[in-house]
Amino acid sequence: MLSLIIWAPLVGALIVLCLPKEKVTAIQAVSFIAAGVSLVASLVMLRAFDADSAAMQFVERLPWIPSLNVNYSLGADGLSYPLVLLTTFMCVIALVGSLGIEKRVKEYFFWFLVLETGMLGVFVALDFILFYVFWELTLVPMYFLIGVWGGPKREFAAIKFFLYTLTGSVFMFLGLLAMYFKGGNTFDILQLMQLGPTWEPRFQILVFLALYLGLAVKIPAAPFHTWLPLAHVEAPTPISVILAAVLLKMGVYGLLRFCYQILPGGFQWFLPYLVLIAVINIVYGALCAMAQTDMKKMVAYSSVNHMGYCLLGIAGMSAAGFTGAVFQMVTHGIITGALFLLVGVVYDRAHTRDISAFGGLALKTPVYAGLMFLTCFASLGLPGLAGFVGEFMCFLGAFPMWKWHAAVSVLGIIATAAFFLRMMQKVFLGTFNEKWAGIEDMTVRELVSVVPLAVLTVWFGVYPTWPLSLMNKTIAAMLGK
Amino acid sequence: MTNLRLLAPEMVLSGLALLVLFVDLFVPVKRARLLYHLAWLSAAGVLVMTALTLSGASGAHGVGTLWSVDPFSQFLKMCVVMTTALCLLMGLDYAALPERHAGLYSALVLFAAAGLMFLVSATDLLLVFVAMELVSLSSFVLAGFERMNPKSNEGAMKYFVFGAFSSAIMVYGISLYYGATGGTKLAAAGVAASPLLLLSLVLILLGFAFKASIAPMHFWVPDAYEGAPTPVTTFLSIAPKIATLGVLVRLFGVVFPAPAWELTSLLALMAVLTMTLGNFTALFQDDAKRLLAYSSIAQAGYLLVGLAAGGTLGQEGVLLYAFTYVAMNLGCFAVTQAVGQAAGHYGLSAFDGLYKRSFGMALAMSFCLLSLAGIPPFAGFMGKMYIFSAAVKSGMMWLAVIGVLNSVVSVYYYFRIAQRMFLRDATGEAAPLPVGAFVAGGVAVAVVGVLLFGVYPEPLIAGVKASTRFLP
Repeated sequence: MLSLIIWAPLVGALIVLCLPKEKVTAIQAVSFIAAGVSLVASLVMLRAFDADSAAMQFVERLPWIPSLNVNYSLGADGLSYPLVLLTTFMCVIALVGSLGIEKRVKEYFFWFLVLETGMLGVFVALDFILFYVFWELTLVPMYFLIGVWGGPKREFAAIKFFLYTLTGSVFMFLGLLAMYFKGGNTFDILQLMQLGPTWEPRFQILVFLALYLGLAVKIPAAPFHTWLPLAHVEAPTPISVILAAVLLKMGVYGLLRFCYQILPGGFQWFLPYLVLIAVINIVYGALCAMAQTDMKKMVAYSSVNHMGYCLLGIAGMSAAGFTGAVFQMVTHGIITGALFLLVGVVYDRAHTRDISAFGGLALKTPVYAGLMFLTCFASLGLPGLAGFVGEFMCFLGAFPMWKWHAAVSVLGIIATAAFFLRMMQKVFLGTFNEKWAGIEDMTVRELVSVVPLAVLTVWFGVYPTWPLSLMNKTIAAMLGK
Repeated sequence: MTNLRLLAPEMVLSGLALLVLFVDLFVPVKRARLLYHLAWLSAAGVLVMTALTLSGASGAHGVGTLWSVDPFSQFLKMCVVMTTALCLLMGLDYAALPERHAGLYSALVLFAAAGLMFLVSATDLLLVFVAMELVSLSSFVLAGFERMNPKSNEGAMKYFVFGAFSSAIMVYGISLYYGATGGTKLAAAGVAASPLLLLSLVLILLGFAFKASIAPMHFWVPDAYEGAPTPVTTFLSIAPKIATLGVLVRLFGVVFPAPAWELTSLLALMAVLTMTLGNFTALFQDDAKRLLAYSSIAQAGYLLVGLAAGGTLGQEGVLLYAFTYVAMNLGCFAVTQAVGQAAGHYGLSAFDGLYKRSFGMALAMSFCLLSLAGIPPFAGFMGKMYIFSAAVKSGMMWLAVIGVLNSVVSVYYYFRIAQRMFLRDATGEAAPLPVGAFVAGGVAVAVVGVLLFGVYPEPLIAGVKASTRFLP
């Protein structure tokens, strides 16, 4: 079943590759079918998924390279399954957003589907080599997606993204190799979870640092975040959505799955630094966002800020903190995905994202303004919307252990509120800027991509029990060790 | 002269090379392509012959007076002959080669291949030297084969002068070796360690380093590679390199194990130097062939990491990487040849907008480049993984760190090509890229190899494991 989910997009990609490039509709249809198969399959799994078990479910295990003891092994638990759902869902949403792509359609959908396979594989791989292959598999399509379909500085943004991430990953790779030999020639993640905690602290710390370097770039944790604003801004809208919604989560996922579960010694040692990095992410990210005049860049920096909440929750080492971090990952994916789509909407019409270029847009585009208000409020953590739940739990989880850090981080929340409110005020309220008299409200395609996200935002804000129930058991088991 | 029959493939290949020369006398110029076909078929035939010795009865392996034919040497011979056949195929679509000299050209390539085959089996410095000279002399002529091209002449001249210089160094090393051990047989038994012996080993190592383009003996590489006809460049960048590394593995992995002779740090140092110099200089190249030349220097450095790391894992790594290197480097050069020939020059700008002119070639090129950079799921990743894990296992973490950082650097210049192929548009109209059938075939073989052994490397790894066995 998991195999179906991860390989369906790749099969779709290969079919797209075989189609002639003039048949745009066929290419789009195949892409939707492929991504749709993944989405449906991951939803069907919901019925079989046992939320009361902390064990790995849907485990698949086949020998891949027996001479090196590398296996094709997959599995999902309460940590990875919500992220799989998020990925399959956001990919379909981003595909809807991609219908507006007119340049080199065939290649675009090909790379997009390859990217989806890579992202899904990262979350369900239970073998380090398999994991690493998927991890790197996300890089190449992303390079092309940013580099070909991106904004004016796309070439630089693409290569910077690639090199930054790769530099981190190769250290992670060496860490994996070190664990392989230490653990008696095994790349099996579950097995290493048993062995890892027994290793001497010095080794754990070293390997932790190697892994952390790879993950921190992806998260992105300060000071490795500088690729993010550039890549997010230059990427085409649907790809910004994927970057923010899914790619960043791969880092946090790795932190929880590998760093914490395999190397608890190293993790403990790093905690004081981790919480510091979290605070920097939160406050610095928010302040940077505040300084932006470009809406997309502002949203990009708000991602840095939101990932800081995740890190803060993780640093709390408590059930509330971990749950908050995972929940924050999901909601950030939904909310920020929606924000990027919405910014894309205005950019498509006005060809500028400058905050001060607008004014009073709410008059002309009420639906657009309404959706934008909703997502912005969700993103700044208004109670009743999805963003609040995750943030609150992160703070709740971190507070017992890091009182001062949590207190400082609250400044970040205030700054977040400030820049979102300022943006809303300047763009949508005030006197109407006559320059945009001809602007139109959202089209059906745009609504189809944004409305589901808005619905989820409200649903998860009002009634977060269901998503939380998926992850509770796993997180309890993680902490119980 | 016992066990001469063990060298049957080499002898057949040499015989066929002579035959090509002979047939050349009777083939009219306009039918000269026949000779290429004869040549690549000879190489393919010898490939099959060598392959048969792999699975054959143990009688196919054994030791002669000057050579030993073991799974290790047979594996490398297969790589060499395979490269030779594919390069000869590429030559069929290379317009700049004078038809009049087709026989000479093909025969020289076959001679070089035969020399390399002798080389990987040699266990006596006498045979080593003769084989090296056979390879070198053929290569000098091949590098300068485009007589009317000044760059070709320049490259060949540098290659020749440098080659003569390093041959002299090697002969000096061999003479010292003779003085220290009283013979030319490569065997450590009954040999006392002495400074003299160590010096001779280092000098011999330098002689090999020339052929494998290992720093500090790499200076001839960019010029010779840039000037030589592209199929020859392809051949030179692959076959001598992997064969020489094979001999080095035999020499410093088995006969005089590097750790026991305290040569490990020297090898590691050379590996670091080679990787770093190759990669950092490649960053500044604007000519595709020069860029790939520096990249191939860097690749030799990775191979050397496997040797420096030592142990079974390192030796297997060298073989595995050598095999994948054949596919990925050949693929890159084949596409480069097609692109360069269409553009009339090998500047990077020839790649502009290749996606529009030939999507297949652009994709194939990026696969091969990604493989060279060691990005999964391509075969090069498996090779790098093997080599770096050997380094980690033998406790040379620093070497592995430098190695992986080098791969990151290499991504930048490999992607300069990818960037031009996909992110830029061609100036002027984008005419479809003319690709000869034989080049296309070579690229197809390379891409299949790069993908297949990247996704499912098990057969290759099993083969490599079975091949890492040496006879004295």
